[in-house]
Amino acid sequence: MPVYVDISRCIGCRSCEVACKRVHGGKGHVNVHMAGDHASVPIFCHHCEEATCTIACYTGALYKDAERTAFDVEKCTGCGLCQLACPFGVVWSDKIAHKCDLCAGRETPTCIISCPANALSTDFELASSRARARAAMAVARGR
Amino acid sequence: MPQVLVPTVCPYCGAGCQFFISVEKERATGIEYMPEHPASEGALCSKGNAALEILYHPDRLHHPLKRKGDGWARISWNEALELIARGLGGALKRFGPECVGFLSSSKCTNEENYLIEKMARCLGSRNIDNCARLCHSPSVVGLNRTLGAAGMTNPISDIANSKCIFIIGSNLAENHAILSRWIHRARDSGAVVIVADPRMTHTAWMADIFLQLKPGTDVALLCGMTHVIIKEGLVDSEYIGKWTRGYEGLVEAVKDYTPEKVSEITGILAGDIVRAARAYAISPASSILYSMGITQHSTGTDNVQAIANLALICGQLGRQGTGVMPLRGQNNVQGACDMGALAEFYPGYRRADDPKTAKLFSHAWGLDLPVGRGLTATEMIDAAARSEIRAMYIVGEDPANSDPSSSYTRDALEKLDFLVVQDIFMTATAQLADVVLPASAWAEKEGTYTSTERRVQWSCKAIEPPGEARSDLEIVCALANSLGLKFNYPDAASVLSEINQLVPQYGGILRERLNGPGLVWPCPNPDHPGTPILHTQGFKLQDGRAAIVPVRYRPAAEEASWEYPFILTTGRVAVHHNAGSMTRRSPSLIEREPELFVEINTQDAAKLRIADGDEVSITSPRGGTTARARLTDRVKKGVVFMPFHFPGTNMLTTEATDPEAKIPEFKVSACKISRGD
Ligand code: SF4
Ligand code: SF4
Ligand code: SF4
Repeated sequence: MPVYVDISRCIGCRSCEVACKRVHGGKGHVNVHMAGDHASVPIFCHHCEEATCTIACYTGALYKDAERTAFDVEKCTGCGLCQLACPFGVVWSDKIAHKCDLCAGRETPTCIISCPANALSTDFELASSRARARAAMAVARGR
Repeated sequence: MPQVLVPTVCPYCGAGCQFFISVEKERATGIEYMPEHPASEGALCSKGNAALEILYHPDRLHHPLKRKGDGWARISWNEALELIARGLGGALKRFGPECVGFLSSSKCTNEENYLIEKMARCLGSRNIDNCARLCHSPSVVGLNRTLGAAGMTNPISDIANSKCIFIIGSNLAENHAILSRWIHRARDSGAVVIVADPRMTHTAWMADIFLQLKPGTDVALLCGMTHVIIKEGLVDSEYIGKWTRGYEGLVEAVKDYTPEKVSEITGILAGDIVRAARAYAISPASSILYSMGITQHSTGTDNVQAIANLALICGQLGRQGTGVMPLRGQNNVQGACDMGALAEFYPGYRRADDPKTAKLFSHAWGLDLPVGRGLTATEMIDAAARSEIRAMYIVGEDPANSDPSSSYTRDALEKLDFLVVQDIFMTATAQLADVVLPASAWAEKEGTYTSTERRVQWSCKAIEPPGEARSDLEIVCALANSLGLKFNYPDAASVLSEINQLVPQYGGILRERLNGPGLVWPCPNPDHPGTPILHTQGFKLQDGRAAIVPVRYRPAAEEASWEYPFILTTGRVAVHHNAGSMTRRSPSLIEREPELFVEINTQDAAKLRIADGDEVSITSPRGGTTARARLTDRVKKGVVFMPFHFPGTNMLTTEATDPEAKIPEFKVSACKISRGD
């Protein structure tokens, strides 16, 4: 159950970045990228089903915990293999690895509440159901 | 560990988001969101999320300081008050109260603004203003004249009920980010979103129709839309007949603004002007949102009036989903104006040039008060430059950084015989002061703030101010007393109850009613629920009718020329706020936007042999600065954009002002650019 983005809603305000960093002791796990002149795309951990980061991690610090790709800081050696393995570039390391923990211990992930544009949710269907609602309205209006 | 959650109002923009500060062992340790908040639903923008970072910043002022040679000497509060009594008091005696100026702060609470206004007027000075002068003074003038009230007409959450949202001159996606959730909600139920801006901003991402106009041609665009609506018979004749006066004059005034002519002036396709006009006029509920892109022009008042006209002829006021919404940039700019920290008004927008006003307040405050408007913020600087203003008291403002043509402003402030600055950091303005007083940040004091939707909210005190810093309320009282007045207010609540008596709009906004989301003014008595939507039953003007005031397009004061071929327009970015004294000290914000940049169109840049990331120098007739080039097609050829959060930008901007509202034309200045090497 990762965080999904409704790209039509993201306004590139970077609140998710700052909020994530705030609650993770200054180490953020979201990166908002400006794509071209106009679009902005926040890049999150996908909590992949077959997570290459967990395969690369030889100590088992990164592991699957049901839908979540979880991280055990005690086991991490800071080798950085996960950083190379992740196809989305969202796990990074300094002395240890850092990645999205879906705000473990909080009811809702921080970025989701904080996002001013309501662009984030854990509901995969939400973005497409909104798109369908807009399309239906456009058809009804004849435009 | 015992942890307390203290509700406070965000210190940045005017959206009025609240959040809890969690306090452990008397330290602010974290933020918790407030999902039940009516405007933000718990969301915060990047600045709100980073707000705590400034509280414990090493640059915070901890002690009163006095100038000593080129440096500063720490002094006691007593000595500071004595120096000020001598400096300000001396100027009052020697040159008269008209030679002393007061700048109040749209970052301070209503109670503090009320007291600063009261102090200035009681000392006999009419020169009191606040930085609203630099953002929404045209709204105050233009909307009071046309609609009889200057606030946002409808609540933020009501935007979701709009079927057509026309955003002009506002990059709300970056500056009032939480509004975007309501716009998205409206879009999901079929609303059309129109965005007019010289720059393809993040706000334009939400647009169905994007109108990229030339800077300074807003009146032409609005008149063009009005022309189309009248010509195609899309006006709401019933509404015009019942609730307005002056329609005929408008028909005459916009007669020549055909889409083709307007297209030539604005650079927008004629077809798009027609599409936008139709969408706005025929939708069952349309709202207009605007901000600095409308007001910061030498035609600012005309821009605002043109907006009001458009809403009036289409009857798009006084109902759900409609309205005219000026978005205010600071957390209490609405409140500072409500409290009369404006040259032309006493508290509650009572005209200062009306003898009845002076009489009423003379009676209430027990002193003879001066009649007539005083000097505005911009005029005070001019008067200081001419040595007509000899001493100033500046609270929480940084004119040396935020005013146009900064070097002129600095010289003017240096000419003063005596300058007191009260702030939380050593700002560029404080650097010029004789005495600097350490004030409190929002979390260190209590009181009310009025958000852009006229929502008056109580913000609680979470922690103690650092060192010997005091709340602005305490400082103002001490200062007033040392200048011979009798200000005896133990806390903010005691000031609020005086405001309840004297400001009719706040009559029922009692302290005990303010736990939670607050109340929306006008709220005349203690049982009144507040008034989220204005103008439901006509207007507070003659016969209850709004005034349609015809306007005509005038070009901006400055145009591109052979020597200065580019038009510079200024604005904000998501992670910074105003002059930047707070956000530039906030690590998680400054690391995201660390330096001044200038956006240049790729084709212009190619001609000048400028590459992305080059250091370039930008020069205008008033001064020059350097910035990092950003090549982009967000701006059209001939236009460049710079944010004003860094010193430098306002070295370039023009000092041309709106003839009525006196706001400087920050949005249009001619400049030239060359590569740094
Ligand atoms: S907070 Fe929301 S709108 Fe802002 S950048 Fe992140 S996802 Fe986009
Ligand atoms: S860190 Fe990368 S590879 Fe691992 S779960 Fe997240 S997205 Fe997948
Ligand atoms: S939108 Fe405005 S009030 Fe809300 S968090 Fe951001 S700056 Fe603060």
